[in-house]
Amino acid sequence: MIRFDRVSMRYESGTTALNELSFEIGRGEMAFLTGHSGAGKSTLLRLLLLLERATRGQVVLDGRNLSQTPDRHAPAVRQGVGMIFQDHKLLADKTVFDNVALPLMIAGERYADIRKKVRAALKMVGLEDRERSWPLALSGGEQQRVGVARAVVGMPPVLLADEPTGNLDPELSWELFGLFRTLNQRGVTVLIASHDLELVRRMRQRVLVLSKGRLVDDLVPGAPAR
Amino acid sequence: MSLLGRIRQRWRATVRRHSYSFFSSLGALMSHRVGTLMTVLVLGIAMLLPLGLHLTLLNLDRLELGEERWGALSVFMAPDTTQAQVDALAEELGSLDTVIEVTAVSPEQGLTEFRAHSGLGALELLEINPLPWVLSVVPAPGEGLEGRVEALSEALRGRAVVERVEYDRKWLERLERFLDLGRAAVTVLTLLFGVAVVVVVANTIRLDVAARADEIEVLALVGAWPAFIRQPFLYSGLWYGLLGGVTAMVLVNLGLEYLDGPLGRLLASYGEDTALAGLGLGETLALLGVGGVLGLAGAWIAVQRHLRELQPGGTLGRR
Repeated sequence: MIRFDRVSMRYESGTTALNELSFEIGRGEMAFLTGHSGAGKSTLLRLLLLLERATRGQVVLDGRNLSQTPDRHAPAVRQGVGMIFQDHKLLADKTVFDNVALPLMIAGERYADIRKKVRAALKMVGLEDRERSWPLALSGGEQQRVGVARAVVGMPPVLLADEPTGNLDPELSWELFGLFRTLNQRGVTVLIASHDLELVRRMRQRVLVLSKGRLVDDLVPGAPAR
Repeated sequence: MSLLGRIRQRWRATVRRHSYSFFSSLGALMSHRVGTLMTVLVLGIAMLLPLGLHLTLLNLDRLELGEERWGALSVFMAPDTTQAQVDALAEELGSLDTVIEVTAVSPEQGLTEFRAHSGLGALELLEINPLPWVLSVVPAPGEGLEGRVEALSEALRGRAVVERVEYDRKWLERLERFLDLGRAAVTVLTLLFGVAVVVVVANTIRLDVAARADEIEVLALVGAWPAFIRQPFLYSGLWYGLLGGVTAMVLVNLGLEYLDGPLGRLLASYGEDTALAGLGLGETLALLGVGGVLGLAGAWIAVQRHLRELQPGGTLGRR
């Protein structure tokens, strides 16, 4: 589902964000991406969302070679990925319903279908009674759950999350990770970047450890560490 | 799904996306009513200037300045000329191929017309009528008119019974040159104010884009096509252009209403009793069409610059 083949990424400033990185995540798998700040976690996710292009190597997502995908197809790539951001990226002047409905409006779906799917997504994240609320009236945890609902409302095969628990307390973080596990159990491939090692360890899932743009460890539960 | 079904589905999706953009743009305009009103007024005034000059020229054209009577020779007879001499000259001129009409105006007729047009009561105090006989000679139109009229004028000036010959054509030609200048000015003004409309709309939309940068970023991150992001702003530009056109139309009609009285009286003094011409259906549609297109152009320029930053390697997702 996700394949990095000797991928290097060097910014114009000269900073090397990723260095000869290779790994593969299968369809329906759940994995964590961890490492210190500046290890390259966010850059890796940006490559998958086609916000950046690798300087070298190949990034393949759901069979599509992103290194050769033209810029004009970037929206199609992003439509196939559900992305959750640390700062939620919700629109303050739109209700919870409208925020979650955005990907479906972009897809031009019928309003009746949008309503049905948005309500199902909000129910899944436990916010079915908040669809008319404004994002700023919600707690941090609720806002992040709205972000999750927006990411999954279009039923994308891949879910990416960049430090989704960065602004949440441990209890809410655990709840959110539980939500990711539920989605994964429904067949969604999940890749989560997090520096919260304790929480990641408790999830007992595959962990890719990055350091200075290199993959330094690939821990699979039940398997001996490399 | 069949090909037809897919086309139908895609078409419906496009209509729904446009519907979203349409209402989203209206909402954005309505949320800043005062700002919108001021922008629309500026656009209306920018469109009004070339439009007003165009209508002025249109009305001057309608004066039928090319008609024969404006090109007539006025032959002023010497004071002691008799009617028999006038009739003889009129008959002689009327027999020429180069003349299509000769009208003799007696001093009494002349005085009556002068009183009617000038309204000067002082003429009543005069013991004698100071006006001479006048022959109004209409030359045949066609090629070489100026040369023929010049030759005829010269010939008439040589007659003892003729005191002065005046030809209205020169005045008419000068006016025609002024009209040509006016038409050129309309073209230049239309271009200049067209650019002004584009700049005003582009600047307004640029501010709107800046105010909605967060929304644009989120839309791009969740996979919106550039066209989808652009659409609400293009609709806003279209609204600005159309509303600017409507404002210009209202202002020009108010102006015409205001000028109709004094201008009507001026035209009546030239024997014209037609009302001032306003905008016809074609011109109204053209004005709205041009306004809409200029608004779209301004919006496109403003949004395009921002959209380039959303390409891979740009600033998207870094805020």
